[in-house]
Amino acid sequence: MKAVLKGGIATFSPQGFLDGNNASTYLSVEDVEAAINLKADMILVSLKRVIFFNRNGLDIFIKLFSKIRKKNSATIGFCDYDQNKYAAIRRFYKEDINFSLFKSLEIAYLFSSSYKDQNKRVIIYSDDKSQRSAIAIELHDNGHTPSIAKSLDEYKEKKSSFDYSVDSTFLGQMGQKIATRVSGNAIIYTISSFLDVEINDNFNIEYHNNSLNVGFRLFIFDAYKVISMNVHALNFFSKLSTSAAEYNATICFVGMKFDKTAITFKENMEDAGILFYDHMDDILQNKKLLKELGASSAANIKNKRVLNKETVIELPKFINAAATTIEMMTNSKAIKESANVQNLLIDKKEGKIASSIGYYGDLDGMVVLVFPSAIAKKACELLIGKNTNDMDMILDTLAELVNIVGGKIKTLLADEGISVNITLPRTYQDVESLLEVVENRKGVQVELSFDNDKFLFFLTR
Amino acid sequence: MIKKEKIESFIEKIPPAPKTLNETFKLLKLGELIKAAKVAESDMALKSYLKNIVNKPIYGFKNDVSDISQIFGILGVQLSQQSVYNYMISLLSPNRWTLFKLNAQLFYELQANLSKKWQNILEHLNIDDKDRCAAITLLPASIIVTEALFNEKVDEVNLLRTTKAIDYNTILTRLCGVDIFDICGQIAKKWEMNENIYKIVQAASGVKPSGEQEIDMLGKWMHLLLFYELSNPKFIEAGLNDFVDFQIEYVADIYDEFSSLMEIE
Repeated sequence: MKAVLKGGIATFSPQGFLDGNNASTYLSVEDVEAAINLKADMILVSLKRVIFFNRNGLDIFIKLFSKIRKKNSATIGFCDYDQNKYAAIRRFYKEDINFSLFKSLEIAYLFSSSYKDQNKRVIIYSDDKSQRSAIAIELHDNGHTPSIAKSLDEYKEKKSSFDYSVDSTFLGQMGQKIATRVSGNAIIYTISSFLDVEINDNFNIEYHNNSLNVGFRLFIFDAYKVISMNVHALNFFSKLSTSAAEYNATICFVGMKFDKTAITFKENMEDAGILFYDHMDDILQNKKLLKELGASSAANIKNKRVLNKETVIELPKFINAAATTIEMMTNSKAIKESANVQNLLIDKKEGKIASSIGYYGDLDGMVVLVFPSAIAKKACELLIGKNTNDMDMILDTLAELVNIVGGKIKTLLADEGISVNITLPRTYQDVESLLEVVENRKGVQVELSFDNDKFLFFLTR
Repeated sequence: MIKKEKIESFIEKIPPAPKTLNETFKLLKLGELIKAAKVAESDMALKSYLKNIVNKPIYGFKNDVSDISQIFGILGVQLSQQSVYNYMISLLSPNRWTLFKLNAQLFYELQANLSKKWQNILEHLNIDDKDRCAAITLLPASIIVTEALFNEKVDEVNLLRTTKAIDYNTILTRLCGVDIFDICGQIAKKWEMNENIYKIVQAASGVKPSGEQEIDMLGKWMHLLLFYELSNPKFIEAGLNDFVDFQIEYVADIYDEFSSLMEIE
């Protein structure tokens, strides 16, 4: 069974009956390896469509979970259960739970450091005080505003006035991934405790590089809860700052105290270009400073590279990946109308939306797809299951679609022995915000038509 | 990806029920087991299939049973009829499975397991009706339909399914407006199966209850039985567990009774 990755969470969804005889066939070692390679923040088993399970069945998953934790610092556990299933799991394992339980996948997303939909107001209820606090801290670190209900009655009374309500949820050993949130055009990473060599594993460098590539210029480390750091962490941040400088990006630390860390570390970091501030609002509420630090613009300033021969040779594969995916989603045939090497040129910008995905490895670059809203809607219908005008839902689904294109590119290139990884997809509600990122970059622009609806493919580096 | 034309072409290719089978059915319906066995003897493929099925562990016979009249005698009218229907469905199965990791033996085993357990369910529900008994035979046709329609698009579908937990039935419905169980219904009509068989299988999809109380109740039992069987490690490994969505709420009210009947602890 393959895991589905969304919002930083890889989910396995077995159906039917789950016991000691069949659990290992639902989730093979190969499936787990593939899930680890997805580099998800969380790996969960959804119990939504499991009607029966026993402890033997869950034990097999839990053994696999511990293997995952050894290789990858992801959070592992179960989600999508009702009250009876939750009570059964708590009864099976009593105080010996080292995995997490999330009442629904939507609740789990709130705890994923890669989930983009942040700043939610969340009410929490748990009869376990330490769990209440742990849940509140994790939610806060992930950019939400948690509120703890003191009693079940209070929880029931108030939950309708919050964006999310969290109960029947248990945080076992949480992942060590560094929580990430986006505030305007700034990316905020939350770091805590002792920072040492493990920062190399816990920091999602691919996400960071992708953010640089798509135009983010200001990165803030929320370091209020950092106790101290050692020389390995110092080197890590210095290198990060140096590489960010190539993109004209800025790295700031907020709330970092140096009473247990040598002050020379601060001087070294400042030499590497890192800025220090006492409070988050010193940056986020100061528009002039934000502009100076580059957070007011998403423009990509890094060296504008030209298309190379290797990319041009593989171009038909890129076009084929995009065309076959849209063909699959719209159930219509693609016709290539024109192909030119040029800067991205979009006629009639109104009513168009776009998405992009980067790839890196033996080849690197970025694929951009620009759709008239109507085709985007049509292409997303298969995934959404209905005709909708909800732009957030369409953009979210478009990200999934471009992710499929990226996956197809990866497979087609792998057939030729070319190994690439893909970045997280990005969507653009209007063409202007796309142009800010790819402006002045030369690439191959291909116009394709699907049942007379036109869509645009652009490949650049 | 999958066009309506492909579905129409698949349905067109379904051969009419062979004469031998029609004759065997007529005699079985009249309860003429010996005469039916004589007719069935002339179809070597049917004979071989019945021998194979009846000697599966689920039937629990100690000695090898090989004579058709003996097989029909042991099975009785209803199970004999079910077995002949199962044979008809198996005629549609591909020589080589691509989408699902199945082979003829494993598919026959699924048919045998479903048939025997369905009979137990009907006995438990005090239902003694040939058509209701035979309804289970059409359910595995949904697997054959899925294989036939999606086998050339394995990579595309797998890629889609790594992005979204979306089953084959939903993909087909969203693309073409018909689902796998509609196509099973067309097979049933082509083979002139009783209308109730078709209705029960539609209800067993878990997404299209008929509105008729008894039909829907049987549909629920069949839906749950399907997923009970598809939770068998062999069928999970074959990739069958998630070919359609398990509608857990649909079967919630019969689960306790089902688990007690199947002795699930």
